Amino acid sequence: MHAQIKQRIESTINNLAALPTMPEIASKILNMVNNPDVSFKDVAEEISKDQSMTTNILKLCNSAYFSRGKEITSIDRAIVTLGIKEITSIVMVIAAKPILDKFVIGYDLGKGELWKQGLMVANLAKKIAIMKNRKDISDVVFTGGIIHNVGKTVIAIYVQNTYNDIINEVKTKNITFNEAEKEIMGYSHQEISEKILEKWNFPPVLKAIVRYYSEPENAPEQYKAEVSAVHIANTISIMAGIGIGSDGLYHQLSSKALDTLKITNAELEELFAKIPEMGKQLQDLA
Amino acid sequence: MSETLLNVGVAQVRMAKEPTVLRTILGSCVGICIYDRMKKIGGLAHVLLPLDTANGANPEKYADTAIPLLVQMLLKEGAKKEFLSAKIAGGASMFKFESNVTLGQIGDRNVEETKKMLAKLQIPLLEEDTGGNSGRVIDFYLMDGHLKVKAAGQEKIYYKV
Repeated sequence: MHAQIKQRIESTINNLAALPTMPEIASKILNMVNNPDVSFKDVAEEISKDQSMTTNILKLCNSAYFSRGKEITSIDRAIVTLGIKEITSIVMVIAAKPILDKFVIGYDLGKGELWKQGLMVANLAKKIAIMKNRKDISDVVFTGGIIHNVGKTVIAIYVQNTYNDIINEVKTKNITFNEAEKEIMGYSHQEISEKILEKWNFPPVLKAIVRYYSEPENAPEQYKAEVSAVHIANTISIMAGIGIGSDGLYHQLSSKALDTLKITNAELEELFAKIPEMGKQLQDLA
Repeated sequence: MSETLLNVGVAQVRMAKEPTVLRTILGSCVGICIYDRMKKIGGLAHVLLPLDTANGANPEKYADTAIPLLVQMLLKEGAKKEFLSAKIAGGASMFKFESNVTLGQIGDRNVEETKKMLAKLQIPLLEEDTGGNSGRVIDFYLMDGHLKVKAAGQEKIYYKV
């Protein structure tokens, strides 16, 4: 363990200004949709206060990925046509892009790779939810999928400094890359992600997704399905080389996650096989 | 002449001539690099799965259809079968998975089917950098056919053509 690095990470995560900033509107909308007393008028009003968000939402509503065919020219129309939950997904895509669409040293991810992976995992997790008749969680796993790796952007610089020690720990102790991150740096990127979501005031289910996506067996019982969907989506994505970095496939594919969602071998292979087509659908969001 | 970098995506087959560099990023997929050393043209197939299950609807996705497709493309461009050779990379596996999860073996199955298809087409396989648990970024240089494989922070170069 590098005590000095652990200390430096600690001071980073205790300094809110050093963590990525999420536009206030995104946290607000995210918490509003979970509140049954909030009407769609309230949401529309909130969005309308933010001119650039409004413009971007209208653009994405009409993108190949989100469009329902008819052209949408107002936020009211957008909410009626796509529903509040889909609009929340769109807000998250817009708000998270500047945070994730960058080169990530340490993990050796070229510019845009972390972002493209976020979109792929979001889309896969949503497909998994729909496939297993869990439409009720399809929007939250989409959002969780987008931001599941956000901690990497903060911890990358320390991974850069300790990479050889981490990979050595993986091989000598037969532990996964994120377990080795914790052994060497005192923190895994998942713990950093959780801190970031705390700063953003995001709901508990999303905090559980980013914290446990690589160890779904340890997720709180009430969020196991959501965490498992993102775990499987992330695994399939890196196996296909999307978002795979210097940590490679030094991770686990959890059978418990497959059991939680009752995903069969055939379903898993079907999802994997569809990745190229999904990549094309997501192109206009990247 | 400056090199042009051409990114090859998942389930894509791309062909080019010198001085292009074909790049792709691999997990469990396999990258098949075929080169004509006389004409200095070559191509890269990034296959996701071993066997075509879509009846030819997406030949670039599977080893058993993408490799013949790439060879055909090269021959059409003037390559000669006797000057072709192959190098392959990728086919990594998840570090930990239970043996009853069949997707876990997909990397090995991709490598196996790739070799079978190259043998069937009588394209000599000169170098392979396959298996393990690392992701790979591979650059295939069409000026002389060498292959650079970057994995787990280290680079290896394969020169045989």
